[in-house]
Amino acid sequence: MCVAVVGAMIPMGVLAEERTTFRVGFDAEYPPYGYMDENGEYVGFDLDLAQAVCDLQGWELVKVPINWDSKDMELNSGSIDCIWSGFTINGREDDYTWSVPYVDNSQVVVVSKASGIETLEDLSGKRVGVQAASAALQVLQDEEQQKDLADTFATLQEFGDYNSAFVELQAGSIDAIAMDVGVANYQLTNRDNGDDFMVLEESLNSEQYGIGFRLGDTELCDQVNAALEQLVEDGTVAELAEKYDLSDMVCLDEQFGEATTAEAAE
Amino acid sequence: MNFETMISQMTGGMTETIGIFAWTLVFSLPFGLLIAFGRMSKYKWLSTIVKLYISIMRGTPLMLQLLVVFFGPYYLFRISMGGSWRFISIIIGFTLNYGAYFAEIFRSGIESMPIGQYEAAKLLGYSRIQTFFMIIFPQVIKRILPAMANEIITLVKDTSLAFSIAYMEMFTIAKQIAAANTTFVPFVIAAVFYYVFNLLVAGVIGLMEKKLNYYH
Repeated sequence: MCVAVVGAMIPMGVLAEERTTFRVGFDAEYPPYGYMDENGEYVGFDLDLAQAVCDLQGWELVKVPINWDSKDMELNSGSIDCIWSGFTINGREDDYTWSVPYVDNSQVVVVSKASGIETLEDLSGKRVGVQAASAALQVLQDEEQQKDLADTFATLQEFGDYNSAFVELQAGSIDAIAMDVGVANYQLTNRDNGDDFMVLEESLNSEQYGIGFRLGDTELCDQVNAALEQLVEDGTVAELAEKYDLSDMVCLDEQFGEATTAEAAE
Repeated sequence: MNFETMISQMTGGMTETIGIFAWTLVFSLPFGLLIAFGRMSKYKWLSTIVKLYISIMRGTPLMLQLLVVFFGPYYLFRISMGGSWRFISIIIGFTLNYGAYFAEIFRSGIESMPIGQYEAAKLLGYSRIQTFFMIIFPQVIKRILPAMANEIITLVKDTSLAFSIAYMEMFTIAKQIAAANTTFVPFVIAAVFYYVFNLLVAGVIGLMEKKLNYYH
């Protein structure tokens, strides 16, 4: 068992000069970013990208499924090196050392096609479901974002997992569900009755995903950023985005485009 | 994903679940007996400490205790624990918690034994230790088995609380498969597994009770 004693405020990354492993914490119930495949392996866009980063840096990737509620404790206690799991930056800017944003995400609303709901305004007086502790819930509760809209709903029903929410939507006990667009696409593609549902064109907000490192762990963050830049150049990122049907959302190439411009300006 | 694949994926988790169950029993039964002795100690300070311990263990959620054991070394002592700590901390957490419950069951059994048996054993020349382990304890086991069965069956189902520190036991894996495949089937499999496991546990305890009928 490896037992490392670290000072109270020293991030582990500073000590780990000759890094050999890279421990990625992720939510294993979050397809297409991280989930269990047919062979019982953990896969997904985020995990495959992390594997590519490790191959470049010569690290061994350790995939650590975590309980989403204790992600900060897992990160701070050093049992993982980063949170890489469709992790929304917006609203958490100061809580982690962030990698470059790699996915443009938005929060959207899924409704039943037969419901006749076509715009966000149509949701007035309807029962809307949202996952507890999710980014979508945060958006609907934030006065600067969509709280005004949420106030027009009959109820805002929180639920635990998407299976239950879709069963409720189908049964008509709720009229709509708010969620990440990537998750929405996965659900609609993979559900047996996915064709009965649709995503409203208007989205609730737009936000970005990043990789969250311990606050101050810039060394590791820089190494991962550098690897990501290489993976954009050699086409690996585009390939993975294609594989997981996320091509419209992955924004890494723009990121490095902007970064280079910013550096040039300095 | 077809049914067989799901079962085969969950099989690994079942092994982990059985592991948690078995190791917890191995450690918490003797530990519980020790706690019971402490609780019945003639030294006031000892019995008070043990009473407080039992009160805390029974009065707070097991899920919270698991989090404290797992994250405690870092938050209290700034020690980062290695790979197998996740499993070890689960066994420690379950043992500390179940030991407290078992202790009270042991105590109820031990205190129900008539004082006359101790006196008779003393007259016949048995030492205190001999009296306890050869005469008293077997009868205690016979008396507490039904209460023990309750607690052990609860333990089988409580193993699923290991999900709170993301240990890959069967229920955690069932949740992951359910999420990836947009289906509830893994939960049905999980329910059947827990039920069959508990049927076996109840069966074994039933057999033990029959064996111990000798004491009546």
